[in-house]
Amino acid sequence: MGAKKKISRREFLKTTGSLAVGSAAFSMGWGIARAQPAEVKIGVIYPLSGSVAHAGKMSKDAVDLCVDYVNNKWADLPIPIGQWEGIPGLNGAKIKLIHADHRGEPDRGADLAKKLILDEKVAGICGCYHSSVTKTVSTVCERYKIPMINPESTSPDLTTRGYKWFFRATPHDRIFLRDFFEFLGLLHEGKVPGVGAIPKSELSKIGACTENTEWGAATREVIKEFAGKLGYEIVSDVSYPHESPDLTAEVRNLLGPKPDILMFASYISDAILLTKTMKEFRASAKMFWSQDVGFYQPKFMETFGKDIDGIMNRTVFSKKLFGVKPVAAHINEEFKKRSGVDFMGTSARAFTGMQAWAYVLNKAGSTDPEAIRQAAEAIEIPGKDLIVPWKGINFENEAGETNQNTWSSGLIVQYQNQEPEIIYPVDVATAKLLYPWPGLK
Amino acid sequence: MPMHALKDALSFGDLPASERIGFAIFIAFCLVFPWISKGSFAQAVMIQFLIFCLYGLGWNLIGGYGGQVALGQAKNVGMSAYTVALFMVWWDVPFWFSTPIGVIIATVESFILGYFLLRLKGHYFAIATICVSLVWQQLFVNWDLIGGARGVELPLKETPNFVYMQFTSPIYYHYFAFVLVMGAILFMNWFRKSRLGYQLRAISANEEVAESLGINIHWVKVKAYCITGVFAGMGGAFYAVYYNYIDPFSVMHLELSIMIALMTMIGGAGSMWGPIIGAMILIPMDRYLGAWLGGSGIVGVDFMIYAFMVMVIAAYEPRGIWGIIEKARRRR
Repeated sequence: MGAKKKISRREFLKTTGSLAVGSAAFSMGWGIARAQPAEVKIGVIYPLSGSVAHAGKMSKDAVDLCVDYVNNKWADLPIPIGQWEGIPGLNGAKIKLIHADHRGEPDRGADLAKKLILDEKVAGICGCYHSSVTKTVSTVCERYKIPMINPESTSPDLTTRGYKWFFRATPHDRIFLRDFFEFLGLLHEGKVPGVGAIPKSELSKIGACTENTEWGAATREVIKEFAGKLGYEIVSDVSYPHESPDLTAEVRNLLGPKPDILMFASYISDAILLTKTMKEFRASAKMFWSQDVGFYQPKFMETFGKDIDGIMNRTVFSKKLFGVKPVAAHINEEFKKRSGVDFMGTSARAFTGMQAWAYVLNKAGSTDPEAIRQAAEAIEIPGKDLIVPWKGINFENEAGETNQNTWSSGLIVQYQNQEPEIIYPVDVATAKLLYPWPGLK
Repeated sequence: MPMHALKDALSFGDLPASERIGFAIFIAFCLVFPWISKGSFAQAVMIQFLIFCLYGLGWNLIGGYGGQVALGQAKNVGMSAYTVALFMVWWDVPFWFSTPIGVIIATVESFILGYFLLRLKGHYFAIATICVSLVWQQLFVNWDLIGGARGVELPLKETPNFVYMQFTSPIYYHYFAFVLVMGAILFMNWFRKSRLGYQLRAISANEEVAESLGINIHWVKVKAYCITGVFAGMGGAFYAVYYNYIDPFSVMHLELSIMIALMTMIGGAGSMWGPIIGAMILIPMDRYLGAWLGGSGIVGVDFMIYAFMVMVIAAYEPRGIWGIIEKARRRR
């Protein structure tokens, strides 16, 4: 070991001074680089394998298309993102999506969220379709203080937890079910085009059939709540295990008490199995309504062809909107070219969620998480820029909810000649109600 | 714990040098991992690995040493996880108080169930454990008081909190899981040299002979089954605070029970290190293949690779990887 070398005061000052200047310069540079990056990474977590992979794939295609619009010039696209060529507020920084597959497993989703936040250093998260996965992923985001915009998970619980970093663009199940019961009220009053007044006594018995994960269980509770409050009777209440190999007993229990209205909340594989089984039973009722998802997907429509006529779905999107929303027709054309199918409720919301991300980043003008969060809180995206028929996007704290888009709203569509026709809100209805439901023969 | 039992737990002198070196490397690796790992995903996978080590070491007792194929560990994981979560949600009870209660509930359930079910043998026992586990899962799914299918979300504390085991950094979780696994390994080291361990192995080899030696077969099996419940309970309690959300599908699913058994069998059931080897292969493979291939659009390939590896190992050496290692050793 050599003798210790004494450091003179001058040398000490020189060294510490240069270190201080160097580190200040480095941190300033780092700060600038962080504030105005060449690209902004967004983590996108969807179920890309497993029984709902089809919905995940549609959502992935939708967000990819949205980012393509944001990053490149699309001169003929009649909304601002077509002209952007990157995020203007970030000096044209491009959005880079990093996709991950959660397979419908909440713990896998949480681990992937950590990977995206801590390893990939994403500016935010988008996803996750399943409400249960959205729950764990949003908890990770809350813990690491990273913003998350959720385009499509509809469990009402998600926005009642007081989370500051979680923003939901879609209407939730309470809103969708409120719409449906309002629609029933209009039907009783004779205010629905195509049918006269239907007395409540003729349309009051509900048969509810919901899958038993977070989303289905939440729907079931809200159905019970509204039915109880508005004087409808639940004559059958079936909660079945998601991805069941057989649903014969469940269908028998559902149809046994002869309900007037059938109400469903099912993912795609269950929706197909339920409908096949109901077909075997030659199911009939006066009305068939479902919470979108499984019953409102291209795969469902292809599988059952004309049998789907008369089935009603809550949704946020229909091709029938194209007349009043040319931008939706324009974007749908490109989406169909790429993915082979039209936009449906899930994919349209995924596109809208990513669009919200682009607007929020633009408003934030920085990739600093706090700046993004504040921008999300303040954002007001006009409905004319969206493909869904909402007033727009405005995340508000209202009625015990935090960061719920209060400008969102739902539609009720009914398959007629295998096309989803809008029947609610009645002032934008594109067809008369087909009543009663023809049944499955 | 009597001194001689503690001595047995801490003494690895009877193991071959290669095993001792392997164990030392394992400890060193776990200790330095948070500092050398590249990224938080690796740490998340490592924590998953440690949780499954704990489950597997517990299952190895009844399934490996005892030769009883129990396929219902998930119910014990779930019971303990639910206890911790609900105690925190309802009464704000800290993790350290609710965990022992959760583990006791899981153990008592194992005792009651084991007392009746362990009179069954072979496939009948396996089927019975599956059935009971499914019944428990359905009960939890439909029991609205405890959240039903919607599960339970643990309230997030404002700041990292040791009392409630809520941290931002995964390092704390890593070391806590590591301590649990080390405790489990030391217990297993005592167990294999204990009277109970010898009795259980004798039962696994030949029940009639063991009975003729005066071993109370039923009672020994029940004891082993209870200890398995303790391990599952500890893992479940940890899972609840680590993920902050549980539902009957993530902690009580049959898939979890099968994964625990499969992992131990692949590693080598009835051997000290089998569950760790099994977890070391299956957990990173499952998580990394899913993360790498799932997001890239090559969907399903990870499942195929995973299934192929399981088939190859099962066909080549039914005693698992530890069987392959022992074969190689004998050849030398």
